Amino acid sequence: MAHRFDVLGLFDNEYDEDGFRMCGITGLNVHRSVENHVKLFGLTALVYLIIGGIFAITVATTRWEAIGLLDATDYYIHLSMHAWSMLLFWIVFMEVGILYVGGPMVLGRRLPLTKFAKLGYLTMVAGTITVYYSIWTTSAPDQAPLLTAYIPLPSAPLFYGGALLFVLGVVVASLPFFVALWNEKRENKGESLPLVTFGAFITSIIAVEALLGGVVAFAGGLLWRLEILQFDPAAYRMWFWIVGHGTQQINLVAMIVVWYFLTHVVGGAEVVSEKVSRTAFVLYLFFINMGAAHHLLVDPGISTGWRIWNTSYAFYGATLASLIHAFAIPAGIEAGRRKRGKGGGLFGWLTSAPWRNPAFSAPILAIILFGFLGGITGVLMGQLQLNMAWHNTFATVGHFHSTVVLGTTITFMGLIYFLIRTMFMRQFISTKLASAQPFLYGGAMGITALMMMYVGILYGVPRRTPEVVENIPRAGYEFSLDAATPLFAVFGIFAVIAIIGGALFIALAVLSVLFGERIEPGGDWDLVADGGTKSAGTKIAQSRESLEMADDPDDPVHAYEMRGTFVLCLIFLTAFVITYILNWYLITQLWSIGA
Amino acid sequence: MANSTTANRSAPRRIVRRAWNDLLSIYYANTPIWRWFKSGGLLVFGFFCWSAASLLLSYRPDWTFLHYVMAYGFALIVWGPLTHFVIVPLAIRLRRTAEHPAARFFARNVSKINLSVFVVIVIVLAVVQFSPMMLDFGGAFESDSGSEVTADLECEQTDDLITCQLTSTEGVDRIEVTSGDREVAIVDDPGGPFEIRVDALEEVVGQKQYSVALYDEDGNRVGVFRRSAR
Repeated sequence: MAHRFDVLGLFDNEYDEDGFRMCGITGLNVHRSVENHVKLFGLTALVYLIIGGIFAITVATTRWEAIGLLDATDYYIHLSMHAWSMLLFWIVFMEVGILYVGGPMVLGRRLPLTKFAKLGYLTMVAGTITVYYSIWTTSAPDQAPLLTAYIPLPSAPLFYGGALLFVLGVVVASLPFFVALWNEKRENKGESLPLVTFGAFITSIIAVEALLGGVVAFAGGLLWRLEILQFDPAAYRMWFWIVGHGTQQINLVAMIVVWYFLTHVVGGAEVVSEKVSRTAFVLYLFFINMGAAHHLLVDPGISTGWRIWNTSYAFYGATLASLIHAFAIPAGIEAGRRKRGKGGGLFGWLTSAPWRNPAFSAPILAIILFGFLGGITGVLMGQLQLNMAWHNTFATVGHFHSTVVLGTTITFMGLIYFLIRTMFMRQFISTKLASAQPFLYGGAMGITALMMMYVGILYGVPRRTPEVVENIPRAGYEFSLDAATPLFAVFGIFAVIAIIGGALFIALAVLSVLFGERIEPGGDWDLVADGGTKSAGTKIAQSRESLEMADDPDDPVHAYEMRGTFVLCLIFLTAFVITYILNWYLITQLWSIGA
Repeated sequence: MANSTTANRSAPRRIVRRAWNDLLSIYYANTPIWRWFKSGGLLVFGFFCWSAASLLLSYRPDWTFLHYVMAYGFALIVWGPLTHFVIVPLAIRLRRTAEHPAARFFARNVSKINLSVFVVIVIVLAVVQFSPMMLDFGGAFESDSGSEVTADLECEQTDDLITCQLTSTEGVDRIEVTSGDREVAIVDDPGGPFEIRVDALEEVVGQKQYSVALYDEDGNRVGVFRRSAR
């Protein structure tokens, strides 16, 4: 029964008298309170994706200097709007929803403290509106903050206040997740959490650390801007990057949780080794925060020992964790599909996979693109020496578009496709377009990010500035950025195509939720790999039961070969080694070592 | 018999034979997803070879073999998808349907012809060095909007007066000095020194900043300097 405010009928699934319903796809016992809050945060995230996407148009067509849409001042304001919408608002709203899925939903519990969830939601929304207002009305002497808002660059006091409000809102909205886990452990002492919940829990711990850093940075920034206290710029940068990069580490871990979840549910993947996957999550807990250090590598006042520890030793703990997941997830897909008789030849398990299902293709594309483009470059630029060649060039922007867009955003797009089918219970308004969209967006965005990295590394094109080819003074200097023009043309064309792909996703998501054909219970069997199971003449999609398709469901997963995954990992490692050697070679040329 | 023949082969030959057979089966795999995989993979690989070779060439212009890597990558961006989306599916269809002897001969050898054409294209591109491949678009992208301003701004402060002068006035027609939203000075003769009063500057968190923007004769901003007063 829909709520009286639910005029669009978005929250009207049928529940039993205790408020639960059985999800036909996941087999989970879903409580109304969890589902409605996940929908609320998911829909709101979509709004921020739309806003960020609109500013992607103006930013990309300015940076593509052949068009040069905006002047420098407006560009920075638009870039700030784009960055805050995409890097924080779209992603963090999704992440709170993921916490509710990974916690109470997977555990089959109701969402505790729903008033806190609502209060957190409203606080987060208030924070975003304040941040938007302060950025949009920026006028001299205040400066648009971009994402970094470095002190002593003055941003409007409202900006620091809005950012603080948003961070506090996230803390409040996360409380129900922690309470749900607390209740679960009290009621089921000694039982381990499911892998997805465990991953979500690790995500939440990293989130707490990031958010506390954010409170110190933004509250301190606000007090500094109001001239109540002094805030050392070097200290500010350290605190800022705890939240600035920490939020991106939350993305990473949340994204991997979604990879495990979706590949299992819609791809038929098994977990090859729970212990190994859990160990990788624990490695993230201790080492992923070291990634933030690469922002400070060229800052004065930090000892070489600190730099080397954070970026050349401890950081590899996180790299190892990523490599474990990079093997475990495809291996799980391969073993799971071979077990179901879907794995002929070296790559049959992959080619027979449900590529037309965007809830499968989106996370798989994200794994590939994130791994090759975002992961490898992340390790490169996280290293003390190589960072010198990457820092503050457009290549850095290419790197984080490879992680946050090609990885997180495409994964979350897949999750939204999944939510549309399983929670909003709607068919896509166009199945063909929904199948094609991840490939269109991922392909175009991949080339866009490659071009960013290329002009950054090859020509040293700087980030954060709209004009480098047209207006940088040239005469009297030994270098010119003119040669970057053709690559900027490729960048611009593919950026526009990527924006069209993103707009297509938004159109599909919004129109499907509003006008998609309603799915009745049992009508979504096609979402599960290979059509789920047949029972009493009717197809019922229950991935947990779909092992019935296997010749012997009791066979351990290790009984199936994973040579396809092994070959893919070898290709990945080869690309890693070549890129690594290439970057090191270039830096030896820069420093003329041995010359 | 075949098994005993296989068993008689040495291990390295068996591995090479199996790898070759795997390669052939992947080359001729023709399901839609395989076409996408191969085309996408070769496109990315082509980009990688082109860009990495170009990058190395900028440091080592004497390594001429990089022209071939570059040409290979550049051609592969188009030829990879063309081969696996168009040529291989057509070849497979033609092998099944062609009746004329010439068509059958062509169908049998189309892969060899395709690879030969590709190799010729790579060699020609590497030797002749087609301009876009070398990232030298020259005249096509030439514009007159590039600034030739090389000026630096030198400022000295004595008490509450700041005196500034440009080191060169080439390409500069007008100077605008602003602080916050306030216009502090406009200088129509950029050749001489100009003065800024410190008490005219806006203060933000203890700092008085001002911007000196340079404009050319068409009114385009061609440079900007930001400075702080003591």
